[in-house]
Amino acid sequence: MRVFGAGDGTAGLFPREGLGMPVKADMLHRISALVTLIGLIVAFAFLNSAFLTPNNAMSVLLQTAVIGLLGIGLTVVILTGGIDLSVGSVLALSGTVAGLLVKAGLPVPLGMGGGLIVGTLCGMVNGLVITRLRIAPFIATLGMMMIARGLALQLTGASPVSQLGQEFGLLGNGALFRIVETQANGLPRMVFPGIPFPAILLLAVALFAAYVLKRRQFGRHIYAVGSNEEAARLSGVNVECTKLAAYAISGFLAGLAGIVLMSRLVTAQPNEGVMYELDAIAAAVIGGASLMGGVGSISGTMIGAFIIGILRNGLNMAGVSAFIQQIVIGCVVIGAVYIDQLRNRR
Amino acid sequence: MTSLQSSATPLVEMRGISKHFGGIQAVRDVSIDLYPGEVVGILGHNGAGKSCLMRMLSGAMTPSAGEIYLDGEKIEIATPTAARKHGIETIYQNLALANHLDAPANLFLGRELKTRFGNLDDKRMFREAREVLQRLNPNFKNLGDPVAQMSGGQRQVIAIARAIHFNVRALIMDEPTAALGPSETEMVAELVQKLRDEGIGIFLVSHDMHDVFRLCDRVMVMNNGRNVGSHRISDVTQDDILSLIIKGSLPEGWRPRGAAA
Repeated sequence: MRVFGAGDGTAGLFPREGLGMPVKADMLHRISALVTLIGLIVAFAFLNSAFLTPNNAMSVLLQTAVIGLLGIGLTVVILTGGIDLSVGSVLALSGTVAGLLVKAGLPVPLGMGGGLIVGTLCGMVNGLVITRLRIAPFIATLGMMMIARGLALQLTGASPVSQLGQEFGLLGNGALFRIVETQANGLPRMVFPGIPFPAILLLAVALFAAYVLKRRQFGRHIYAVGSNEEAARLSGVNVECTKLAAYAISGFLAGLAGIVLMSRLVTAQPNEGVMYELDAIAAAVIGGASLMGGVGSISGTMIGAFIIGILRNGLNMAGVSAFIQQIVIGCVVIGAVYIDQLRNRR
Repeated sequence: MTSLQSSATPLVEMRGISKHFGGIQAVRDVSIDLYPGEVVGILGHNGAGKSCLMRMLSGAMTPSAGEIYLDGEKIEIATPTAARKHGIETIYQNLALANHLDAPANLFLGRELKTRFGNLDDKRMFREAREVLQRLNPNFKNLGDPVAQMSGGQRQVIAIARAIHFNVRALIMDEPTAALGPSETEMVAELVQKLRDEGIGIFLVSHDMHDVFRLCDRVMVMNNGRNVGSHRISDVTQDDILSLIIKGSLPEGWRPRGAAA
């Protein structure tokens, strides 16, 4: 018993005759997204020989980790039929809180834990405003987007918090299996960049989220709430709790992305993460999530996040300006949704 | 008000139930009982309060006033889960299915089976769902599809299966045949009779006079939120019922059908 996506739910019956096995619509979307991703990698590899090096692969992983973490949180929220516009600001607030706590003398793990708590709290406030005050998710999280950003700027006086120490940078800059040798002149030389901690974190969070969504009752209820809220309520699903948890998860992951990003910069930047929510939404949508709720998957969102990450990286290496990159990614988002609709309309 | 079975305690008894939304009185002081193995039809025009009354029994709404008894004992039904715990199941008019989920996920929604480790036991849910669905409709094959892709009849079968799979004692059916073709309607009618024979009490909300006269033992007619008449089906004619639905009263000079003969 799997959970299937079928666009708006009325169609999505992909012709099965002749395929030899049932192919579901959302599966197909993910396969086509994956093909796009591989196509991009091949194309960029031909364009630039430096693209397919371990160093570059690791830097793509690192860049994608933040959008990927936000995308997982957004997938959970979008599956319930909601939206979370606050993740970029919550990322900034959590990161700056973590930075300020460390600056104030707290050990790094505790300071970062404080950042995570702040992120989760922001998400819970979103959830409470949506379920208790019955304010539309778009508005509630738009408000939180401004509140969290304002708080981050107010707390820091709008200036970056720097000199946080090497330990603060470990989560964002460290890596597993990194091989560094000391050269004859005494300077270190990196033989292999290793697997960055943020990438490992992303993989762990993605696997756990996918497990919860597919194999746990809570995940089933997330899909049910997004598919038909009234039916879920009448079936005894605690709709309010499910939604509240979804926004809390999104806030927690925004906090996690925040401390990862600030750790990478070894500076708490209250201005970081502007518009990141849109990249995260784009990742989920490219990966097949429907903003109507009930359709989407973690694997799809991961592919979407990597499509965005690879596009950015590859276009950068090809010398395409950041402005043109925005235009290209915008077209990809619209194109992905349009192709999905075409298929579902048949 | 006529009482049928004087012997047993009613399975379900609703006493003096009222419901208002702000200044609007949807249900006014309605009392009704249901015995095991009995089908009671609830009739009335749209907005007469039938669905509202039933929703208070199924836990989708809580009454503003009044009491509900099960086996003679007062119970509180604050949520759909509470109603289901008491064996009160509902088949909603719109079926209340989650379109993106498949048949087993819908059948077990809110009561998922789990493995020892708390994971969803999809295999067992699939097996049990196939068993109950194919008992209701032997042609039910594509269980694993999202229910959005299924026919009206299949969707109805899922909604019915969900209501009868879990030790149902009292069943509320809200317009169960409204969206169905003739053969599917026949299936539902046979099912109602079978459940009645098993001792399950059924409230049947319907507009279909043919179904009502064929399936029900008693009827209650609602008009403007009130119970305007509870009768044995053998006492009344279709015209009597229509008069109750439309005017809120029986035709002048009415006598029970049985007594007149």
